[in-house]
Amino acid sequence: MIKNKFLLAFVILSSNSLFLESSNLVIKNAEIYDGIENNSYQGHILINDGVIAKISKTSVPYADKVYDAKGKIITPGFIAPDTQLGILEIGALSVTRDDEASIYSIGFSIHDAFNPNSVLIPWNRANGITSAITLPRNTSSPIGGLGSFFLLDSSLDISSEADILMIGRFGGSGSSSRAETLTLIDDMLSFASSLDKKDMSSDASIDEVIDDSSLASHMDFKPRDVKALYRLINDDLPLIIKTHRASDIIKLIELKNTYNLNLIIMGAQEASLVADKIVENNIPLIVNPINNIPNSFDELASNINMTPILEKAGATLMFNVSRSHNYHLIRQGAGVAVANGMSYGGAIKALTTNVAKTFNLNNRGSIKVGNMADIVVWEADPLEPSSMPEKVFINGVDTDLTTRSTRLRDRYIKDLDKPSIYRK
Amino acid sequence: MKNIYIFLYFFCVSIVAENFKPFESTYEPLPSTNTIFRNANIYDGEGNELIDTDLIIKDGKVVAMGVDLPSSADLIEVDASGKWITPGIIDIHSHMGVYPAPSVRTSSDGNEATSPVTAEVWAEHSIWVQDPQYALALKGGVTTFHVLPGSANLIGGRGVTAKNLQRNTINSMKFPDAPHSLKMACGENPKRVYGNRNQMPSTRMGNAAGYRKSWIKAESYLSKLDEYEAKSEEAKELSYKPTRDLELETLAGVLRDEILVHNHCYRADEMATMIEIAKEFNYKITAFHHAVEAYKIADLLAENNICAALWADWWGFKHEAYDMVQANIAIVDQARNGTGCAIVHSDDEIGIQHLNVEAAKALSAGIKAGYDISKARAINWITSNPAKAAGIYDKTGSLKVGKNADVVLWSKNPFSIYALAEKVYIDGAIAFDRSSGLEPSSDFDVGIINPSKNRIEE
Repeated sequence: MIKNKFLLAFVILSSNSLFLESSNLVIKNAEIYDGIENNSYQGHILINDGVIAKISKTSVPYADKVYDAKGKIITPGFIAPDTQLGILEIGALSVTRDDEASIYSIGFSIHDAFNPNSVLIPWNRANGITSAITLPRNTSSPIGGLGSFFLLDSSLDISSEADILMIGRFGGSGSSSRAETLTLIDDMLSFASSLDKKDMSSDASIDEVIDDSSLASHMDFKPRDVKALYRLINDDLPLIIKTHRASDIIKLIELKNTYNLNLIIMGAQEASLVADKIVENNIPLIVNPINNIPNSFDELASNINMTPILEKAGATLMFNVSRSHNYHLIRQGAGVAVANGMSYGGAIKALTTNVAKTFNLNNRGSIKVGNMADIVVWEADPLEPSSMPEKVFINGVDTDLTTRSTRLRDRYIKDLDKPSIYRK
Repeated sequence: MKNIYIFLYFFCVSIVAENFKPFESTYEPLPSTNTIFRNANIYDGEGNELIDTDLIIKDGKVVAMGVDLPSSADLIEVDASGKWITPGIIDIHSHMGVYPAPSVRTSSDGNEATSPVTAEVWAEHSIWVQDPQYALALKGGVTTFHVLPGSANLIGGRGVTAKNLQRNTINSMKFPDAPHSLKMACGENPKRVYGNRNQMPSTRMGNAAGYRKSWIKAESYLSKLDEYEAKSEEAKELSYKPTRDLELETLAGVLRDEILVHNHCYRADEMATMIEIAKEFNYKITAFHHAVEAYKIADLLAENNICAALWADWWGFKHEAYDMVQANIAIVDQARNGTGCAIVHSDDEIGIQHLNVEAAKALSAGIKAGYDISKARAINWITSNPAKAAGIYDKTGSLKVGKNADVVLWSKNPFSIYALAEKVYIDGAIAFDRSSGLEPSSDFDVGIINPSKNRIEE
């Protein structure tokens, strides 16, 4: 620490630039899981202006600030692909939730509801999640609702990518046959395929298209709903459909091939029964490796060995959790997957690169030159839930790991001679 | 003449009452797997870590623990070098069987949410013995679990403690001689459920009034019962026994210290209120469950000898669960010079399979908070402490000579995510064996995807 301060003072004195303090850093002596290779390697990472500028396996690149990660594992910041971060504070309090729409359906975007001051954000960041995809709740339409990508740096100057995917659901509902749901999705996609660029030129022309379509009129589409459907077919917009049953997965694969969809399947508790088809058709999966409960009649094949089986079959995997708030528990899920036979490197990829690739987050998710420096230094094995991040860098900035939880803790274990209200 | 009939009636009733106790345990262990574990690392559930130690289980009991124990021909020898042994894990808060999988309306039997006080219902009468979740919990090392009714009601009904050995009747799973428990619930759930129906309680003060009104009724019932029971046999024959009342029988059981109170309660201020009510009516609270704010009153809990059954990190799903502190379990454990009683519970069908990892998270948070807590102590959070809270510590929850041989052999240190339960013994009989493929499956699992296979058979 003293050495770093000295170094910093030296740099400031000898440099022309006033902006070096946070813009130039080397993390040295790290055991690097880069999210690309299966195995780790020893190296030093130079970060310039938030970007990974150099990775050296031999000599330590010069930088103004040096962080010695000797003996520590570093990974890319984990990316949680299925969260409500920034749009939900307390589950049971609807006034703190912004995940539902009442007028729009397919084109509903949660993007502008994002609250970077949510207490969930420092909590998940301090547990190694540096960015996340935030999803709305499913709408009344079987496909619809747009998710966005957010950086978890707690800045009011929000770094995000808006509306990068659409969500949907398919399966047993208790209200109508899944055959009807499938037909409806098919009809919606058929309508989407019929749209051409001219139709999309103005809201007025979209309104005409809606009037001409019995489906669009019946479903009360608004122009922004139609625009979202258009993107699904024409912009290769990722479509995450939550489904479980093996036969339902096959039906979705057929739809993917008919409409050339960029399909991702989430949940997928019976995916191991159709692993080959999933792999042949190149469908990434978002699964919860720790969930082995046959929680519905659609999920009977739910099995703790599913994730390792899917990895062996060659599937692209990402992880989610069953409950809100602790999205960082995707690493506990990853640990369970490894305990049951998944490869370690594969689990790290599932937490990082696979998410970035699937959702076109081009400069994040792996530790490579040119990527933004979202990097976590772990005190021990990152897949052990008892091990915590020692440092979390987002865009190369050493972020604050204080959380409301650690503050409350300290209030009840320190300065106990004072009444709690006068403690820090 | 009339008196004779009355006499005959009471005579018959008393014979039935004396000879038949309904819902008694008929549990019988599996045939013993008498075993000597060689060179195991052991957390005994009493706070001790024993390295390279042998353990003998025989005829259902822990028989010996020590270095280089002599073997005998009737013992199966298991090489446990490099592996770890713990007592069987106990979950003090489970809804297996009352909220079974699949989670469907027809077997969702955990909350009798039709009246705020339903002390008359018993969770065991809801339990579906074919729930496929028992076997999954067993593979996570769980040998005993305590099932409670849900938290919709102020007083939800009786809980039951069961062996995690699935049988075709609940009586044959019930832990012999385990006391009954009573589920109570504070806070948001009862006031939401009944407030939404414009019914009392709709506030926390309505909650408090509801408990107190019930205890007043229970006191009155109990005094009539005491009065009757104090009579001589002759006098009893000539008087009326107070009419049985299932609700008040349960509450009177609490006032007589026969039934243990397990109280769902998140907020510190509400727990303090519940402690006042318990003192007002002279009953004991055995444990607060979910207690997200227990760390704020850890000393009060320790002084009153009340356990806190907690999650390692679940929070935020409702307002009363907002102030989560990961060191909660450790702070409770360390209160009043380490006299606190902390329990890691699941209340969850996935969490119950990983209570060792949940304990690991809680321990890590405690160490970061500056406490010096050993793994040997932290294992108590999922073994001996829940055994105490279930009233079965004299029989299980730690590896002491003479106690039930509820034992888990772990592939690695159980505080690691990579540790898997390799062998699980209940009453000295092997119930799960990862290497031989011995594992239970419920009727639900049979032929349900592929008729010639079980549900998760590969």
